[in-house]
Amino acid sequence: MLSYIIRRLLILPIILLGVSFLIFCLFSLLSPMERLATYVNNPSVLKNPQAAQNLIAKYHLDDPFPTGYFYWLKSLLRLDFGWSPTANQPVWDAIMQRLPATMELVLYSIIPVIIVGIWLGVISAVHHNDLADQVIRVTAIIGWSLPTFIFGLLVLFIFYGILGWLPPGRLSTWAQYIVYTGDSFNNYTHFITIDALLNKRLDIFWDALKHLIGPIITLSYISWAYLLRITRSSMLDTLRKDYIRTARAKGVDERTVIYLHARKNAMIPVITVAGMMIIGMLGGVVITETVFTYPGLGYWAASSAQQLDYGSVIGFALLFAFIMVVGNLVVDVSYALIDPRVRLE
Amino acid sequence: MNRIIRKLFSNTTSLIGLILLFIFVIIAIFAPYIAPPLFASDPYQIPRMSWDVQPQPPGFPISDDIRLIYDSLGQPIIRETAIFGTAQGGYDIFYGLIWGTRTAFRIGIITVTLSMFIGVVGGSIAAYFGGWIDELLMRITDIFLSIPFLVAAMVLTTILGRGLDKVMIALVAFGWMGYARVIRGSILCVKEEVYINAARALGVKDFNIIVRHLLPNTIFPVMVQASMNIGSMVITAAALSFLGVGAPLGYADWGQMVSFARNWIVGSPGNAGEYWYAVFFPAIFIVLFVLAWNLVGDTLRDILDPRLRGEL
Amino acid sequence: MQNDKNKILQVKDLKTYFFTENGIVKAVDGVNFEVYQGETLGLVGESGCGKSITAFSIMRLLDYPGKTVGGQILFKSEDLLVKNEKQMRQIRGKDISMIFQEPMTSLNPVLTIGFQITEALEVHFKMEKTKARKRAIELLERVGIPIPEQRIYEYPHQLSGGMRQRAMIAMALSCDPVLLIADEPTTSLDVTIQAQILELMKLLLEQFSSSMIMITHDLGVIAEIADRIAVMYAGKIVEYADTRSIFYSPLHPYTFGLLTSIPRLDMDIEKLESIPGIVPDPLHFPEGCKFHPRCVFATEKCRKEEPPLAEIKKNHSVRCWHIEKVEQEAKKISFTGRLTTDG
Repeated sequence: MLSYIIRRLLILPIILLGVSFLIFCLFSLLSPMERLATYVNNPSVLKNPQAAQNLIAKYHLDDPFPTGYFYWLKSLLRLDFGWSPTANQPVWDAIMQRLPATMELVLYSIIPVIIVGIWLGVISAVHHNDLADQVIRVTAIIGWSLPTFIFGLLVLFIFYGILGWLPPGRLSTWAQYIVYTGDSFNNYTHFITIDALLNKRLDIFWDALKHLIGPIITLSYISWAYLLRITRSSMLDTLRKDYIRTARAKGVDERTVIYLHARKNAMIPVITVAGMMIIGMLGGVVITETVFTYPGLGYWAASSAQQLDYGSVIGFALLFAFIMVVGNLVVDVSYALIDPRVRLE
Repeated sequence: MNRIIRKLFSNTTSLIGLILLFIFVIIAIFAPYIAPPLFASDPYQIPRMSWDVQPQPPGFPISDDIRLIYDSLGQPIIRETAIFGTAQGGYDIFYGLIWGTRTAFRIGIITVTLSMFIGVVGGSIAAYFGGWIDELLMRITDIFLSIPFLVAAMVLTTILGRGLDKVMIALVAFGWMGYARVIRGSILCVKEEVYINAARALGVKDFNIIVRHLLPNTIFPVMVQASMNIGSMVITAAALSFLGVGAPLGYADWGQMVSFARNWIVGSPGNAGEYWYAVFFPAIFIVLFVLAWNLVGDTLRDILDPRLRGEL
Repeated sequence: MQNDKNKILQVKDLKTYFFTENGIVKAVDGVNFEVYQGETLGLVGESGCGKSITAFSIMRLLDYPGKTVGGQILFKSEDLLVKNEKQMRQIRGKDISMIFQEPMTSLNPVLTIGFQITEALEVHFKMEKTKARKRAIELLERVGIPIPEQRIYEYPHQLSGGMRQRAMIAMALSCDPVLLIADEPTTSLDVTIQAQILELMKLLLEQFSSSMIMITHDLGVIAEIADRIAVMYAGKIVEYADTRSIFYSPLHPYTFGLLTSIPRLDMDIEKLESIPGIVPDPLHFPEGCKFHPRCVFATEKCRKEEPPLAEIKKNHSVRCWHIEKVEQEAKKISFTGRLTTDG
């Protein structure tokens, strides 16, 4: 197993390099002038053609491909992602500022994905073709067919428009005032729910939670619907295996057969998929945050794309890609840890 | 093949899917008759029923200023009222949805066909030749897979600009990897079968082996995936339009119709569901379309699962 | 010694059918046999004749769409078919154990060997962990696995095929079962390992004073280990006698066909005859005697009427109208040696 992990770790930088190269290729589809816009924080500078040319040379935007890539990569490693007109700050700062909000959302969303997806998946398989299974399957197929943005709009419509329970955004105005401006509130983690508890402000905690529920439901729905199907089929597969028959022949009770013998095996492929799904929620974050005007990375990504803020678009593409690559590695390694056949190579 | 078709029709879920698809096909084919275009040269441009910013409910009559435009162009007025209402900016929802069906089919079928082609070619070359070719192609696949699909499509459409063709390029550029992996997996299983070695021993050229022996036996999982992906391609294209980076303004695309409704979803104070139609009608079309493909694809997968095939 | 006191299992008129989309498959159709204390009964036949299904019926481990629809399975004078699932679970693994054909797939890949053995002990005797572990090590030693105290922490994929099967045997014997059912235990093993495993099983059965039902299609295996044999065909028993009688005076054409279709050192055969035709389609069994389409002795009567299983000689039953023809053919063959070293 050790060699497997080492191999994966060695490939990691290669993949990261490859991804950065791919993104650079996309970036280079723009003209040097267009790309220059991401490097200056004052657009009026560009009006002067001479100054513009100097800057283009300075940032190597007109250089041949390999050199251009080299300098671009260098600036990335310095965490210089350029300037974002939409956020009115350097891209990296904009990312860092919005990251906690998105992370808070994603982390909370993992819970329903795992619990509902896997738990229901096991039940669905065990009650194969029963009414419970059919109902669960149909719900999952519908979930699979409902695009996130429509589902999100539906949630917003019902729970905010009609019921008024779950408002969009991240905090109500009164809570925002306290959290962002007051001196009494300490932002330890920038995870508002955690910070609220740490500051012993339960009212802010509930307010933040209220704003999170809609996005959590939306973000997790497609993931758990998919995970459910994967778990179900993996479980069905496993229950057909010979060693399940052996366990029954030993007189083991059905509950243990399902939850120990079968599930442990069925989970092996599911864990890897679950990992992918969670990482894949990064894509869903864009839409979910847009629908609920939740001020995270996704929302900013969408608005910067709309306004042709190239630097920001490239910036969050790089970030998401990085998270995906590292996340994949983590998933692969945990797969090796779970399956004794791989672990004891 | 016949068995597959028979099973598709006998299964209730896939039958529903097939019926839905059939309805959509009819709509797409007869779009010019169901919703005759204002400008024959550009039928995908949705005509407006009024210049109002607010959406208007179903049954809304065409406004006078628009009437004048029709008259000055010498065009007869085909529909007096907006059957499904109008969206933000006065766009006729009914028209948008009917022609949007064509758009959906175009996007779905073209992107899936192209990405499937690229994926299958790449995957089969990688699997067949193995060695460093396989490593290289698989690393490239990994690299492409490292960017979340929607994000990658967003980047590309931002850079290339708005427009349906740009959207399709983005979808194909980042949509081929799944097929490559699936076909590679299948071929790796089949590659060592005796009949492949027999063909090689007889001196059959590699290309022929791939095309005539390997592919026919391994193509089915790919086709299952393709049928399910048509739905997801349309969803992603709609999502892009919803975010404002897809189809150009006024283009008949379901996603765009939903984006028109975005600001109006909570209605006006005291009347939460006032603009329900702006979301409801486009949403129904999208959901039913994708559901249809998923039902068919899901059943197809069940049919082609060799383990289930062997069961009594 | 066979008498009613020593009878541990009596299968009476067992019928197990599969209710499929395409029709009813009568996998086991009226099967009768007994197993006595300390002996091994061999259940022989080609694939698809119903022998494994008989075993699953006894253990009540049938998969959908199979159901036992008739008969009795008397174990220690109690009918297993009327017991509920909870009662069956107490019997499985403890009074009646089973080992399966493929040790690689029959052992759980993510659980240690030790756990899979101690599980039965914990389930049936509520044995506490250290005691169970000691017993597991003991069992592994008895089945001939070296360094057992290390092995219990290993996973199935770390053992060789033969060792896995030994581990399965250890698992099956852990609770001292009265009856062991072995479904083709040596079929997937190398020939040399096969011999070892059979020797081991014979030894253990004696030590544990258990009885066994050995299911196999391999006549060589059955000759080694079975005391009595039931030959199955198309869901029914066609011949039922002790091993010597089956091998030296077979009375059913099918048995005779099986015996003369394999090369044997103890028979002087000019030419190997394979049984013509193939095993019948379980959905469309022939009328009359199920074997008649492949039988060289078949007559009109065979085509119309199915023969009953009749006790022709003492402890030798046959299901055939024309056994005298088989007797004649069998007499023509000279036996030049002994069947096994035991004779």
